[in-house]
Amino acid sequence: MFESLLNALPVALQLGSLVSLVVGTLVGILIGALPGLNPVMAIALMLPLTYGFDPVIALGLVAGIYNGSMYGGSIPAILLNIPGTPAAIATTFDGYPMTRKGQGGLALKTACWSSAIGGIVSALALMTLAPMLAKVTLAFGPSEYFWVAVFGLVSIAVLVGKEASKGMLSALLGVIIGLVGVDAISGAERYTFGTLYLVGGFELLIVLIGLYAIPPVLEMAEKPNASYFNADSFRVSAGDGGFGLIRRYWPTWARSSLTGVCVGILPGAGGNLAALLSYNEAKRRASDPDSFGTGNPVGVAAAESGNSADNASAMIPSLTLGIPGNLIAALVLGALMIHGLQPGPQLFTRSPDVVFGFMWQLLLTAMLLLLLGGMIATRLFAQILRMPTALLVPTTLVLMAIGIYTVNGNVVDLYVMLAFGMLGYLLNRLAFPLAPVVLGVLLGPMAEQNLRLSMLIYQNDWTVLFSRPISLGIVALLTAVLFSQAWRAWRSQQHS
Amino acid sequence: MKTTLLITATAMSAAAFAPVLASDYPNRPIEIIVPAPAGGGTDNVARMLNQYLEQELGQAAAVLNVAGGGGAIGVNQLARSRADGYTLLSTWNSPITTVPHMQRVQYSYETLTPITSTSQSAYTLCVSPDFPADNAEELLTELQANPGRYTYGNDGVGGTMRLAAERIFDAFDITARPIPFGGAGETLQNFLGGHVDIYGGSITPVLPYVEDGQAKCLLVTSADDNDALPQASGLAALGHAELETVLWRMMLGPEGMDEARAEVIADAVARAVKHPEFQAFLADQGETLNLVRGEALRERLQQEAQAIGETLEGLGLKQH
Repeated sequence: MFESLLNALPVALQLGSLVSLVVGTLVGILIGALPGLNPVMAIALMLPLTYGFDPVIALGLVAGIYNGSMYGGSIPAILLNIPGTPAAIATTFDGYPMTRKGQGGLALKTACWSSAIGGIVSALALMTLAPMLAKVTLAFGPSEYFWVAVFGLVSIAVLVGKEASKGMLSALLGVIIGLVGVDAISGAERYTFGTLYLVGGFELLIVLIGLYAIPPVLEMAEKPNASYFNADSFRVSAGDGGFGLIRRYWPTWARSSLTGVCVGILPGAGGNLAALLSYNEAKRRASDPDSFGTGNPVGVAAAESGNSADNASAMIPSLTLGIPGNLIAALVLGALMIHGLQPGPQLFTRSPDVVFGFMWQLLLTAMLLLLLGGMIATRLFAQILRMPTALLVPTTLVLMAIGIYTVNGNVVDLYVMLAFGMLGYLLNRLAFPLAPVVLGVLLGPMAEQNLRLSMLIYQNDWTVLFSRPISLGIVALLTAVLFSQAWRAWRSQQHS
Repeated sequence: MKTTLLITATAMSAAAFAPVLASDYPNRPIEIIVPAPAGGGTDNVARMLNQYLEQELGQAAAVLNVAGGGGAIGVNQLARSRADGYTLLSTWNSPITTVPHMQRVQYSYETLTPITSTSQSAYTLCVSPDFPADNAEELLTELQANPGRYTYGNDGVGGTMRLAAERIFDAFDITARPIPFGGAGETLQNFLGGHVDIYGGSITPVLPYVEDGQAKCLLVTSADDNDALPQASGLAALGHAELETVLWRMMLGPEGMDEARAEVIADAVARAVKHPEFQAFLADQGETLNLVRGEALRERLQQEAQAIGETLEGLGLKQH
């Protein structure tokens, strides 16, 4: 295996591959940075252009866009409090407060390094552990998925905000939004009120952009003449070299990368879960948990290394089993099939150069992020803040509207986005955290469907939820999180 | 007499005009609605075909993905658009023949203009190597003997694969428990992990596991056998060719689209699918060419919609 891995290195280093990596990474950063434009769309549109080329070039583009967009999403999250991709939600928690404090440059640099490290760790996991980790993927059945969803939802609801009860209510709101549409198990319509539009349910991207992107725009519009940003934000502080960051963040990076890799091997979970769980873990372990959410760079480091570490590892089930871990992985499988390569266990022996080459490409593009992201994109995008608010607000709104409209070409999506924008504004004013809402939309249906699937398979024998070792492990983890939180709350009550 | 004259005159003018209409069509870019998200199987095939279709038509053809509602949202949009031949639909069968039974929609196979079908692929039922059956008859006998014991993963409520399986099970008096997953990928994951007994889904994803002995595919839902799965029987071999339910793809136009223009597109598709690159692509996807056009296509839609309506009725899923 290691011999084929080394043999594939020259393939990934040939000129065509390198060019496609650079182009892909730049496009990815840009797509990620524009809220509403998403990498799945970009890859789907670019792949047909590469049908005539070598598969290595197509996959280089995919690898570049994939890793680039994961970092790109953090740029508007940090500068404007608008996550460019769903996975960048956790990055807003501390990234934006840093910008307000005049540390925007440092936040971007931290995000860039963290994305690169997460991407590198994930690519290394893909290269060395893929066949072993694929076995773990298969061990997860519906009952395990149910617990993963419950664990993600509950731990984030409890840990993310200041008050656990508000977090729980937010999560519940998200679950209710996720109920709308056709029930996947029975086919019955729920909360559609006789409209065709609601039959498909609310799309996560539209909910996300509405909730997250409209309120900051409204808030900016509220104070048109105020000097909104600190001028120091434009400067990337020279004193903090990459090695300084490494010394400071390596324990956070290690934990978050591990979390990202673990979430990545489960098809359907995704980068935003990875980022939020990493953020929670960093907050839980910190000596000063209260500084999280007020501009602690460790929060940015945890979130960005977590979501980027999800990337390459989400390719593990796709490449080894032929089961796509996310939409981009599905596109990669499609690209391989168009080039006559059948995904599945034989792919590694039949076309090692392509598979291992792709792994190298994922590693290389994670490294490229340091160069392209750190030197070009960060400096370029920091200039956005120099725009007067009167220009910045409408420009951002128009870009988001274009992004959302391109998803389905349906104008109703724009009204829905605005409606969620109003909801987000309201929730902000009432100090309800938004992240649990988005997670509720994503994980609520996942929990419900998998619970019902396991009840169908085991004929309503609920003991199956507690009798399988992996399920028990997750339940134990969940209990630990809840107890440690309750303990902390009790202790702080004693102190005050 | 007067009527005859009128008819003759109309027929003559139609005959005289039709070639003219056809010859300057298309003279501007065409929009092709794909009622599925970018990057799925339907989208891949549509975009691939589109490359060659553009060459044959001498005009650009832009693919517009309008996903949602099991495909109904995109087809609704087509049904509402102008029938001038510049907005077409490239779809698979379920939004036309299954979805209208389950949701309110603004179209029907009776009104949309049938242009041509393009390709099709069968579904397959596979079991693990230690399952007590080695061919289709033994599989069906084992399922008959154990009603309600085995679970089969499928593509969800109203999914074409589930309907294909239920039609067969109904005819053979079999009760198996359907487990509705999101699609073939999820079904494969649960089948390989041992969470369900039977894989039900498209052929391509499971093929590598047939080759390395982790799966035995015993039945395909087409009438004919499938070359890629020598252990599996088609429905004709079981004496039930009429139960065939496959996934197939077609191009349709809005109601009232000019027939000559539909012919132009159907002819261009017939030439486009001859490109060896497209044929190789189809073969990799496990699909075979199947060109049925015009009224014959409408008849095929009608038969399928009726059969699926009956199956859904039997399952208690029919709503409309």
